Amino acid sequence: MLNIVFYFQVHQPYRLTHFNVLDIGQSKPIFDDKLNGDVMRKVAQKCYLPTNKLLLDLIKEHEGRFKIAFSITGTAIEQFKLYSPETLDSFKALADTGYVEFIGETYYHSLAFLYDSNEFLDQVMMHRDLMKKEFSYDTETFRNTELIYQDRLSDLVFEIPGFKTILTEGVDRVLQWRSPLYAYKNYSKRINLLLKYYQLADDIAFRFSNRDWPEYPLTVEKFVSWIDKLTLNEYKGKNQFLNLFMDYETFGEHQWASTGIFDFMRHFPAAVLQHQHLGFAHPKETTELSNYQQESVSFPEAVSWADEERDLSAWLENDMQHNAIETLYALLDQIKVKGDPDLLRTARMLSTSDHFYYMCAKYFQDGDVHKYFSPYDSPDQAYIYYINALAELEERLLR
Amino acid sequence: MKVLMFTWEFPPLISGGLGMACYGMVKALLSLGIKIDLVLPTKEEVYFPMREISDVDTLPAVFLNARKQIQYENRVFSGISERIEFIGLNDHPESYFQLSDINRYVTSIKKELWSKESFAFKEQDIWQQMTNNLIGDEDLIRKIQEYTLRAERMAKTLNYDIIHAHDWLTYPAGMLARRISSKPLIVHIHATEFDRAGGPGDERIHKIEHAGMTYADKVIAVSQYTSQMIMSRYRIDTGKIRIVHNAFSLPEDAVIAKERIFKGPVILFLGRITLQKGPDYFLEMAQKVLQIHSDARFIMAGTGDMSRKLLRSSAGLKLRNRFLFTGFLNRKQVERILRAADIYVLPSVSEPFGISPLEAMAYGITSIISKQSGVSEVVKHAFKIDFWDVDLWVETINHLIENPQYCTKMGIEGMREVNKIQWDEAADKIRQIYSTTLADYVRKS
Repeated sequence: MLNIVFYFQVHQPYRLTHFNVLDIGQSKPIFDDKLNGDVMRKVAQKCYLPTNKLLLDLIKEHEGRFKIAFSITGTAIEQFKLYSPETLDSFKALADTGYVEFIGETYYHSLAFLYDSNEFLDQVMMHRDLMKKEFSYDTETFRNTELIYQDRLSDLVFEIPGFKTILTEGVDRVLQWRSPLYAYKNYSKRINLLLKYYQLADDIAFRFSNRDWPEYPLTVEKFVSWIDKLTLNEYKGKNQFLNLFMDYETFGEHQWASTGIFDFMRHFPAAVLQHQHLGFAHPKETTELSNYQQESVSFPEAVSWADEERDLSAWLENDMQHNAIETLYALLDQIKVKGDPDLLRTARMLSTSDHFYYMCAKYFQDGDVHKYFSPYDSPDQAYIYYINALAELEERLLR
Repeated sequence: MKVLMFTWEFPPLISGGLGMACYGMVKALLSLGIKIDLVLPTKEEVYFPMREISDVDTLPAVFLNARKQIQYENRVFSGISERIEFIGLNDHPESYFQLSDINRYVTSIKKELWSKESFAFKEQDIWQQMTNNLIGDEDLIRKIQEYTLRAERMAKTLNYDIIHAHDWLTYPAGMLARRISSKPLIVHIHATEFDRAGGPGDERIHKIEHAGMTYADKVIAVSQYTSQMIMSRYRIDTGKIRIVHNAFSLPEDAVIAKERIFKGPVILFLGRITLQKGPDYFLEMAQKVLQIHSDARFIMAGTGDMSRKLLRSSAGLKLRNRFLFTGFLNRKQVERILRAADIYVLPSVSEPFGISPLEAMAYGITSIISKQSGVSEVVKHAFKIDFWDVDLWVETINHLIENPQYCTKMGIEGMREVNKIQWDEAADKIRQIYSTTLADYVRKS
C-alpha cells in the first residue's frame, strides 16, 4: 500500500514598512499594515478561500478516504483575524470534518531552533496552544520552519510531550541509497521521521505551469501513473508513504488558477482512489502504518526544503543575514530581562524567517524566487529597514 | 557688472558641495549688485537670469527659443517645483545628439576657429586638448557635449562682461564662450580629478581640467590645499591662481536646537559614500570605538558608489544595529540628522574644501576633520587629524564620548566660529578678482 501524505504550509509574515533611520523614535509603525492587509486579502481570494472550499468538497465527496494536513503559523492566524476572518472560518470548517491533521511548528515561523532553544520551545508551545484554541486540536506531528532539521532538533522536540513525528526534506546527500518512501526514525530512534519526496512534490509546487518542462502539461493521469510506478519497488508488503509537502499558496497564488491547478487537484483524489493499493494518510498515522522495523537516519548537518542547496543558505549565508539575526536574538534576551510584553511580541514578529530570506543575495535561479517573494527592491534595502527596526526596538527598550 | 556663469549643480539640482557653494556664492554676489546669467544642465535650453537675491530660490528661467519662451510664459504652474520640473532641472537631456553629430560638430568648430588668424598656435594646442578629450559615449560625457553645444548659443546671444565656470564639467563651455566672445574666463576649482578619484583617475578629465585652467585668465582655488595641487599636479602659472575659501550661511528657516533620536552618543558621517570621502576609515573607527563604547551609534548619511560595499562590510564586522545607513537625505532630513548628532567626522582622503563640516559646526556639532582638507585651513575649533591615522581618530572620538561636557563646549565654540565664516566675505574677494581680471583684459585689448 502506498499512502499519499499531503501537508500544506500556510504562512504569512508581518512585512516591515520602509523604516528609515529618521523614523526611529517617531512612533512610526514598524510593520506595514496596509501591505500586509492587501497581501492577505489577495492571497485569501486567490488561494485560501477557493482551495479550502475545494478541499472541503473533496473530503466530503470521498467520505474520509481523502486526507490532508496543514501547518498554519501564528502570524498567519493573527492576520486572518485582522484581514480575512472568513478564511479562518473556512479552515475551521475543514477542521470540523475530522479528516484534517494540524501540525505543530514555531508560532512565528522563526529560526529560533538555531539560536535560542528556550525561545524555540516557547514559540512551539505558543503554537500548540493556538491550535488547541482555534481548532480544538492536539498536535502530534511537528515540522520546523521551512522543514529545517538536524539531529539536535529531534532531541528538543522529543522533550515536548505529545510529538511523535517530525517532517523534513528528503535530502539526497543524507538519504543516499535509502528511499524517502519509507518512514524512518531519528538518529536516537525515539521519534518518527517523514521525508518529503521532493521530485514529485516540486512537480506540482514549482514545475506545474513551466512550459519549458518536458513533462508540461502535468495531467492527473500522468501524475497518478508516476505514483503507481513507485509501488513497483514495494517490498514484502511494506507500507509506503509518498510525502507531498508544499506551500499552500501553490494553489492559486504561485500557480494561478489559469494554469489549471484547481482542476488538477479536483480530479486527483478520485484518480488515486481508483487504485486499490493507493490511498491517503495523515502524518500522525504513519507510525502505526509502518509495518516494519524503521531504520534510523542521522542528520548531522542542518537541512531545509529551500533552494537547490536544501540547506540554511537561503536565510543564513551572507554577512547581512548573520548580523541581522544575531542582533535580533541578543536584543530578544535583553527584552526578556526587562519583561516588556509589547516589545517581546514585536521582537518575535521580527524573528519570522522571511525577514532573513529577503536579505538573500544569491543571484541565480533561486535569487529570482527570493525576489518574487520580497516586498523590497534589494537584499540591501531589506537589511537596512530590518536593522533600523531593531535600532528602534532597542531605543524603545532604553526608554 | 554682468557674469555668464556655468555650473553643473545648483539647488534643487544638487549632489554635493558644488551646488551648495554656488548657491551661497551667487546669493552673496547678487547682494553686491552683480548680475549673473546662470547656465545649468537642464533638459530644456534655458538660462537663469539672476538679478534679485530672491532669484536664487525662485530660479526665473528664459528659453533661448522665442516660441518656446512664449509657451512657457503662458503656462500656469502650481508652484516653483512644478515649473522647475518642466524646465527639467532634475531630469537630464532626453534630446541627446548622436555621438557622430558631436564629432562632426567638434571638427567643424575646430576648423572654423582655426581658420582665424588670431588663433595662436599655443591656443590651438589647448583647444585641441579639450576637444580631443571630450570624446566618449558615457552618459556624462554626452551630457557635457550637449551642454557645451548650448554654451555656444548662450555665448552669442547674451551680454556679459566676464565668464565664470565651475569645475571641469563646464570648462569646455567656458572655453567656447571665451573663444566666441573674447571675454575673460575665470575657472573655479572646487575639486580636481585627483581628489575625486583618490588616485590618478580619468586621463581625459585631467586633460580637460588642464586645458580649462591653462585657457582661463584667472583660476580660483577653494583652498591653499587645492592651489598647491593645481601648481604641483597641473603646473598652472601661479600668478593666475587666487584662493577664495568657501563659506557657509545657514538657511533662514534653519532650526539648530538639538533633538536626539538615540540615547547613546551619535557619530555622523555626512556626504557622498565614495573613496574620496574616506567612508572605509569611518567604518574602521566605528569598529574600534564600539569595542569600548558599545552604546554609541555611527550614522552613515548619504549615498555613493561605495554604499553597498560599506553596508556589506559593516555587517561582516558584526556591528549589530550600531552602524546605520540613512540613504539619500533631502535638505530638511539633513537638518534632522544634524540635530541628532554629537560628533561629526570628515575623514576625507583629499578634500579641496569641504563645506559639510561648516554646516555641521553651524549646528553646534563637534567636528573632527581630515588634515587633507581645505576646510581645516579656515576653522580653529575642530579637531584636525591625518585621514589615515585611525587610532588617533578613535582616541579623539572616545575622549569626546567620555567627556560630554567638553564635547558640548567644543561644539558651541565651533558654532560661534562658523557663524563668522559668511559668503559675503568670499563674494567680496570674487568681486575683486572680477575687477582686476576685467582691468587686465581692458588694458590688453
